Amino acid sequence: MKTKNIRAFLGIDVGSISTNLVLIDINNQVLSSLYLRTQGNPIRAVQQGLKELRNQIPKNTEIIGVGATGSARYLAGVIIGADLIKNEITTHAKGASFFVPGVRTVIEIGGQDSKIIILENGVVVDFAMSLICAAGTGAFLDAQANRLKIPIEEFGAISLKSVKPTYISGRCTVFSESDMIHKQQIGHSIEDIAAGLCHSLVRNYFSAVAKGKNISGPIVFQGGVSENLGMRKAFELALGQKIIVPPHNTVIGAFGAALLVKEKMPEKTKFLGFEISDKDIKCASFQCAGCPNQCEVIETRIDKKIVSRWGDRCGKWSAV
Amino acid sequence: MIATFPYWGNYTIAFRVLLENLGITVILPEKTNSRTIEQGVKFSPELFCFPFKVNVGNYLPALEKGANTIFMWENIRGSCRLRYYWIVQQKILREAGYKVKVLNLNSKNFFSEIKKIKNENKISLWQCLKAFLLAFKIIKLIEELEKKANFLRPREICPGQTDKILSQCFERLSKIKIKKFQEISSFQKQTLWKFSQIKIDKKLNPPKVGLVGEIYLISDSSLNFDLEKKLGQQGIEIHREMNLSHHIKKTAFPWIDWFLQRKIMPYLCSTVGGHGRDAIKEMLDCVKNDFDGVIQLLPFGCLPEVTVRPILTKIHQESGLPFLSLSLDEQVAEAGINTRLEAFVDVVKNHYENKKH
Repeated sequence: MKTKNIRAFLGIDVGSISTNLVLIDINNQVLSSLYLRTQGNPIRAVQQGLKELRNQIPKNTEIIGVGATGSARYLAGVIIGADLIKNEITTHAKGASFFVPGVRTVIEIGGQDSKIIILENGVVVDFAMSLICAAGTGAFLDAQANRLKIPIEEFGAISLKSVKPTYISGRCTVFSESDMIHKQQIGHSIEDIAAGLCHSLVRNYFSAVAKGKNISGPIVFQGGVSENLGMRKAFELALGQKIIVPPHNTVIGAFGAALLVKEKMPEKTKFLGFEISDKDIKCASFQCAGCPNQCEVIETRIDKKIVSRWGDRCGKWSAV
Repeated sequence: MIATFPYWGNYTIAFRVLLENLGITVILPEKTNSRTIEQGVKFSPELFCFPFKVNVGNYLPALEKGANTIFMWENIRGSCRLRYYWIVQQKILREAGYKVKVLNLNSKNFFSEIKKIKNENKISLWQCLKAFLLAFKIIKLIEELEKKANFLRPREICPGQTDKILSQCFERLSKIKIKKFQEISSFQKQTLWKFSQIKIDKKLNPPKVGLVGEIYLISDSSLNFDLEKKLGQQGIEIHREMNLSHHIKKTAFPWIDWFLQRKIMPYLCSTVGGHGRDAIKEMLDCVKNDFDGVIQLLPFGCLPEVTVRPILTKIHQESGLPFLSLSLDEQVAEAGINTRLEAFVDVVKNHYENKKH
C-alpha cells in the first residue's frame, strides 16, 4: 500500500545577505527551516538551499505551493516556479502576527535594509524602509565586528558585558567607523565599544527609519540582527518596554511567504521540483535598442532554454 | 535658429507643435533614459535638482545634431531653483564647448521675446496666437488621454490593453504635423473611439490613490518608473490633479493661489515655493473624497516638497489615510521603488477592505 504523502508549503526568502527556506505543513507547523548565506549569488543559494532541504525532509513530502519573497523574489520565483511572489513587508507582517497576534509594531533589521511595520488588527497600515544608507543594518554591524576582530555570532554576548557603553556617532557608516577607531585609540574597552555600536545602530534606526511613526506595544523584533543579544537590549532600553523576539526570527519572511501561499491555496503548484538544484541556470542581461527607453532586459535560461525575461517596459521581451 | 527644449513626458509633443507653428526649426530632445541621465549627471553640479540633470542629458544629443538655441521656461510665479536653471545650464554647456544660447522666457520678457521670434520668422499675429492655442489644446488632449487611461487601467478586462492603445496614440500624435485645429479634433475623435472599444468591468469600484508632488516627476512616466501604469495594473485607480494646464491656469489667474492658501490655512501659512501648497491641498482633498491612499513623488532634495513632507505625514497620522513618500534621483534603483510600491498597494487594499466593513 502506498503511504500517504505529507502535504507541505515552501516559503523562500532570498535577500542580499541570507537565503532562507521554510517548509510548513497544513497545520502551520514548521517542518524544516534553513538559513544560508547568499554570498552574492542568489541562483546558487536557491539551488543549494533546495538540495539541503531535500536531504532533511522525508521522501514522501509533497510540495503543493511555493511563495517567494526578498529582494531577489522575481528571480527566485522564476527559477523555483513560485505560485506567489510577495514583497518583504507583507510577508514579515504576516509571520509576526502569526506568532504574536495583536502585534502593533514590527522592527525588522536584515542584511542590507531595515524596516518598520505598523499593524492594526493584524493588517499593515503603515511602513517604512531605510533608503540608500547602509548604516543601521546588519551589514554595518558585520563590518564593524570584523574591524574589532569579534566573530559576529559572539558580538551580542560581548556587548552585554559592558557596564558603560561608549557613545559612537551613528549617522553614517563612514563617520561611525572613524569615530569607533578614535574610541579604540583613546582606550575604551572592546565590550563598551561593542555595546556603543548597538546603541548607535538603534539611534540611527529611530532617526532614519522609524521617524514619525507611531510606535506602540506589543513590539516584535525580527530579522537576522534580532539574533544579536546586544541589539535586543539596546532596543529595550531605547523604547522603555519589552520587545518580543518570535520563534524562527531569522527566517520569518520565508515563513510568512509560506503562510500566504497556504491561504491562497493554488489548485496546482507551478513548483519545478527539487531537480532544479542540479540544472544549469544562467542569467544574462542586455540592453534593448528598440526605442529610446533603452531598457535593461534580463533573461533566465534553465538548461539553455529561455524560461523568462523581464525588465522591459513595453512587454516586447517579457512575453516569451 | 535651430531650437531644442527640455523633454517632458508626453508634453514634449505640445512643445514641438508650438515651436514648429512659430516657424522655428526644431530638433527634438532625446527621451529620458539611463544614458541621458548618466550624461546629464556628468555635466551638472552634484547638488543641483534632479530635473536639472535630466534636462541637460536630454539636450546633449540634440546639440550634437546641430541645435543652437534652448527654450527654457523660467518658473513664472513661484520660487524654486527652476529660476536659475537657464543661466546655470547655459554656463555649463558653454563651458563644455557647445555654442548655445538658452532662451529664457519669464513673465517679464515673455511678450517681447515672442514678438522678436514673430518678426524674425515673418509670421502674422494670428499665426502666433494660433500656435499657442494649438499647443494648449494638445496639452489638454494629452491630459484627457492620461486621465482616461488611469480610469480604464484597473477596470480593463484584458490586462495591458489600455497601455497598448495609449502608447500607439501618443506615437501617432508625435509623428503627425499639426497645423489646424481640425486635425486635433479628428485625432481626438478617433482616439476616444479606440478607448471606448476597451472592454471594462463597469461595476468595479477600485481603490483610489492620489498622486501629489513635484510636477515634472509625476507627469513624466520615463522618470517615475511608469508609476501610474504599475499601480493601475495592480488594480489601483490613480488620481492626479497636478498637471501642466493647472500650472498654466495658476500663472494666468494668480488669485487661484489665494483660494489655495485659505484651504490649507491650519497647516501652512505662507508659500514654500514650487507646488508645495498644492500638495497639501490635494492631500486634504483626498481625505475629503474618501480615497485609499496618497503617494508623494519628489526629486531628492526638492526644497518645496521636502518642506511639506512632514505636513503631509501629519495629515496621514490624523486621518489614517495610507501615505508613501518616494524621493527619486539618479541613485535610486527601480527594484527598491517596486518593493515599496507593492507593499503600499497591499496597505491601500487593506484600507479599502476595512472601509467596507
